[in-house]
Amino acid sequence: MFGSPPLRHQIVLLVLVAIGFALPPFVPEYYLFLLNSLMVWAALALGLDLLMGWSGQFAFAHMAFFGVGCYGTVILTKQLDLPFLLAMPGGALIAAVVGFLVAIPSTRLRSIYLALATFAFAEGARFVFNSWTGLTGGPDGLRIPTMTIAGWKMTSDRQVFPVLAIILAMLLFATQQIVRSRFGREMSAVRDSEHVAMASGIDVRRVKVLAFTVSALYSGIAGGMYALINSFINAQQFGMDGAVLALSMVVVGGMGSIPGVLIGVVLIGLLPVVLQTKLRSMQLWQELIYGVMLTLSVTFMPRGIWGAVTGALRGRR
Amino acid sequence: MLTLALFQGIASGVITGSVYALLAISIVIVFKSTEVVNFGGGEMLMSGTYLAMMALVAFDMPYVAAFGFVVVGMFVLGISFEAGILRVIAGRGRHGQLTLVALVVATVGLSYILKGVMRLFSYTEQARRLPSLFRGPPVEFGQVLLQRQDLVIVGIAVLVMLLLFAFFQFTFTGKALRAVSQNPRASSLVGIPVKRMRTAVWGGASILAGIAGVLIGAKFPVTPDFGGTVVLLSFAAAIIGGFNSLPGCVLGGVLLGVAQNLVGLYFSSAAIAVTPFVVIMAVLIIRPEGLLSGRSVLRKV
Repeated sequence: MFGSPPLRHQIVLLVLVAIGFALPPFVPEYYLFLLNSLMVWAALALGLDLLMGWSGQFAFAHMAFFGVGCYGTVILTKQLDLPFLLAMPGGALIAAVVGFLVAIPSTRLRSIYLALATFAFAEGARFVFNSWTGLTGGPDGLRIPTMTIAGWKMTSDRQVFPVLAIILAMLLFATQQIVRSRFGREMSAVRDSEHVAMASGIDVRRVKVLAFTVSALYSGIAGGMYALINSFINAQQFGMDGAVLALSMVVVGGMGSIPGVLIGVVLIGLLPVVLQTKLRSMQLWQELIYGVMLTLSVTFMPRGIWGAVTGALRGRR
Repeated sequence: MLTLALFQGIASGVITGSVYALLAISIVIVFKSTEVVNFGGGEMLMSGTYLAMMALVAFDMPYVAAFGFVVVGMFVLGISFEAGILRVIAGRGRHGQLTLVALVVATVGLSYILKGVMRLFSYTEQARRLPSLFRGPPVEFGQVLLQRQDLVIVGIAVLVMLLLFAFFQFTFTGKALRAVSQNPRASSLVGIPVKRMRTAVWGGASILAGIAGVLIGAKFPVTPDFGGTVVLLSFAAAIIGGFNSLPGCVLGGVLLGVAQNLVGLYFSSAAIAVTPFVVIMAVLIIRPEGLLSGRSVLRKV
């Protein structure tokens, strides 16, 4: 569980990058678009899982940080004319700083205050996106200029695909390192029992604030990735529905495990696409479908699909 | 003229505030007895509005019967959710924070289920208001005009709060519930059926949310998305009270209702969306234990 990750995990990452470069010429643009959005969701869900699955804290604001990262990236590109490789980290950093500032007062007394404060923050952020017209374009939204990476103009999903694959591989690598580090073990200790963690000399509040900040950073990076695959953003895209979608990915796939989260991202991410072809009134039914899925899986499959599968395999052996 | 608008704003803030207070109380009694924050509270409130609409419009009931319909419907909803879902999750044993996360996720799931179910009914397609609770010419207090219905809304809210207070203070079951929230293990040792009590709390909390829904539905047009806005204000109200005090919820609800109206009056009606966040952050920074409690209370091991 701890120590440096085994070699085969690193090989998976290299394979991901290799696919990123090899796949685009052979796959239709539409499928690349789908894969691109799945990679964005994966970045968001990995960050949410660090907070929820690894440190046992609950927060609602990931769509808002996603929005901050996305607007940040676009605005830095537009106003300061920065290249993507500077604008995206800039946007993500802003998201992390905002996250840090929200987390400090919210972790002072009860652990549930973080969830409550972030729930309110999500609404407040949407209001700011909607009304800071000079910066975000307000309700009219913002057209995203063509991003440039090392002189290359990113105009199609085909060109963006390898970039996103590299970013996701780096995030996966970082996640593996984080959960195996001292900080990762501290997060798990806080998750399993705050009192025992405190008694073992862990600064519980510092761990919570740091976990939340890192988690916001991931969301900000995901927001930057989102700016790369879209040509237009407005406040509507960063609402509660996205937050519940990310939550479903983590919970249904399996909290606290990287393969579990990735399974959740693929299944839940593709569900609307599949349902839209089968069900005309998808819009009408989707809330009910997500609600039932979320409730039933958290009740009867506590460790998600990945936990159920590995549990069954272990049981047979 | 401006002061008149101010007084009018304060008066109507007290009215909506009493409804936020009801929902805040519903959320806090659940939190005190189970440590779960009910993120489905807003949708429970919204379900109460639509249950009343169903009773009034489809079944042609009078208002009193509609209240009864809402009470029974919400009670069944609350106890089945607790017994069917939450008890299963909590019964898996101790997994530290993960159990708590799972319980909270279940309430998020509930909020989406309720929203999804309500959307299937045809009268939720557009914003609709319940019929007036009470008709008649407005009443004058000095220069401030108040609708008779608004007085009835506050009256019912206060009546429900008083009944609740009497229940917790004077009945045997109420005292047992307070014991359970203070120390579940000792309560079960003296023979209080802790599990059944938790189910009852969810039933009662759902009824409170449902009644709040009827009251606010008679004043404002409602959509299935309406619950999310109200619950945010109720969370803020509960945090003002330290998330463990019922009088604190009432104070918080009224403060929030008034603050919301004043923000609408002096800034913009859109800025109301940030009011709960600003209030929550201000309380957490300045006085995280809430306005009413004397000292910060740390959880026992």
